Amino acid sequence: MSMEEMNLLNVSGLYTSYGRIPMLMNVSVELNEGCACCVLGANGAGKSTLVKAILGMVKADQGSIIFKGQDITSWSTYKRIAAGIQVASAATGTFTKMSVETNLKLGAYNINDPKLLAERLEEIYTSFPVLKARLNQKAGTLSGGERTMLAIARAVINKPSLLIMDEPSLGLAPIVVDEVFRIVRRLNKNEKITIMLVEQNAKKALSVSNAGYIIQKGQIIFSGDTETLKNSEFLENPVM
Amino acid sequence: MKSFAKKLNTPWVIVLCNFVIAALVHAILIAEFAVSLGLMVAVVIVMLALDRYGIIHALFEAYTAQKKTAIISGIFLVIAIPISLTNNNYIGHIATMAVIYSIACLGLNFQMGSTDMTNFAPAAFMGIGAYSVAICTTMFNTSPWVGMLLGMVVAGAFGFIIGLPTLKTKGYYLSLVTMAVQIAFTQLIYNLPAIGGANGISGVPKYALFGLDLYKKYTIAGIKFAPQIPYLLLCIAFLILATFVAMRVYHSRTGLSLNAIAQDEIAANCLGVHVPRQKLFAFVIGGVFCGLAGSLFVGLDSYAGPGSYNFSKSLMLICMVILGGMDNSIGIIVGAFLLTIISEKLRDFADFQQLVYGLILVIMLIVRPNGIIPKRVRNYCGVSCRRPMCAAKAADVVEESSTGA
Repeated sequence: MSMEEMNLLNVSGLYTSYGRIPMLMNVSVELNEGCACCVLGANGAGKSTLVKAILGMVKADQGSIIFKGQDITSWSTYKRIAAGIQVASAATGTFTKMSVETNLKLGAYNINDPKLLAERLEEIYTSFPVLKARLNQKAGTLSGGERTMLAIARAVINKPSLLIMDEPSLGLAPIVVDEVFRIVRRLNKNEKITIMLVEQNAKKALSVSNAGYIIQKGQIIFSGDTETLKNSEFLENPVM
Repeated sequence: MKSFAKKLNTPWVIVLCNFVIAALVHAILIAEFAVSLGLMVAVVIVMLALDRYGIIHALFEAYTAQKKTAIISGIFLVIAIPISLTNNNYIGHIATMAVIYSIACLGLNFQMGSTDMTNFAPAAFMGIGAYSVAICTTMFNTSPWVGMLLGMVVAGAFGFIIGLPTLKTKGYYLSLVTMAVQIAFTQLIYNLPAIGGANGISGVPKYALFGLDLYKKYTIAGIKFAPQIPYLLLCIAFLILATFVAMRVYHSRTGLSLNAIAQDEIAANCLGVHVPRQKLFAFVIGGVFCGLAGSLFVGLDSYAGPGSYNFSKSLMLICMVILGGMDNSIGIIVGAFLLTIISEKLRDFADFQQLVYGLILVIMLIVRPNGIIPKRVRNYCGVSCRRPMCAAKAADVVEESSTGA
């Protein structure tokens, strides 16, 4: 297998801005197929902006985003989703007034075949038994942990090539955080889903990923594998 | 409670229920102003009381389970009501108007109820339908049916054109844009002498089907019928068609994605919903429905004038949707009927008409902000399951479908 085939997502020299205020500056991220990669950074460092740029919700001023060998820089969001990117995040929450099952069906929006959909739903029910018990409940009545599970399940139902997780541990109890990261590891190891994990909880994030990037003030200040990152002085920075 | 819900689930209950509804509609239409108003208030109160005990929900489940019986008996009664009005011109007129407004409200609901984009210009869309019939028939001597088709197409295109700029705006600002469109439409009609200006276009020919006039006094088996009755039957046929389409859209993936946009546009976008296309769809199909309603409206009065399609008419349609219940086709038809009948029976007190609207709206928003029959939580039961079941059974059905797959 050549390098190009292994490369799933390639963001190079990306610049974005909110109005006149520059946000990301010369950000380059490479994700190989099957890897779990974490993006760490403090509040306001530009992590979420990077996610939005990859999803196409923030316009790239400069640079390119290449996914599966295609230049998707100018694509709109729905096209990127159909190409196999999915996001599970606290920010793009669940539909609180709809039932859990409706939420899952909305996640499977791009699956047209009812038989395939039934199969996938069944898989989801076995891997997320918590949700099966609550199918007819409104998503707004779920606990925080269950809602995070729902967000992940909703993304995984499509069998995405790339799963972006934006702060899955946000606002959860430590025991639930452990459960969430167990799921992340399982998705990566057993289901071979490439995962981009955007987190503040550096210790936890590093425990499940094999490469990492650190963003500070809109720039990548470190990139490398987890072992180097664990020992680097960047993590000792009190801001992290 | 569950056993009671099961008891409701028999064909006879459905037929009886349909009959009671039909009798009530007949009584409300026929009765004097005070009696009719009292009946309406009583119906609404009884319905709210029933809803508190979950009986309305159980009835809905029963109706979905006994679909065939419900539809067949319903259609019989729906045809029976106009015939039972016999020689009553005025009541026939009111009933036809209520049916036409119901169609327009169903169209408005695609934007307002499903997608949460309050459109303040449904009357403008109706006006387009009405004027296209009037222009086609009086100036080009075509059949009104051609005008109706053209009206629907033009109203749909108009919806598309309004939809395009409003993709950029949300919430209040979108409402402001549509409000401006409505006012501009009325002013345009007033100031275009070519299409009658303030006088409008009168003498529009009535609809006819296979050489049979649909607006004429018929005497069948010695009973005289008001001229509106055959036309009312035509409008009811269109209403059934419109309700069918609206329900199909609601239960489709498109309807689901519209609801998703209403709740959280960003999340819907992240799940791969093509947001601009779905919003435009809501505007176009809503426009087509309103255009149809307008072209039927002109067949009732033989007159298309700017006064009939102004801002206050738009407000009335919005009131109907809010009163009946957003995003629930049945609720919307109930709302349209109630408000049409109330405002028509209030003709004697025309000065107080607007006051009564305001009062109804304020009371509704305090007592029951989701409308008389609010929208129900979407409920699926596995994907391969064809017949809808009640919520309690859904878990079993999922297992069934899983072993099947």
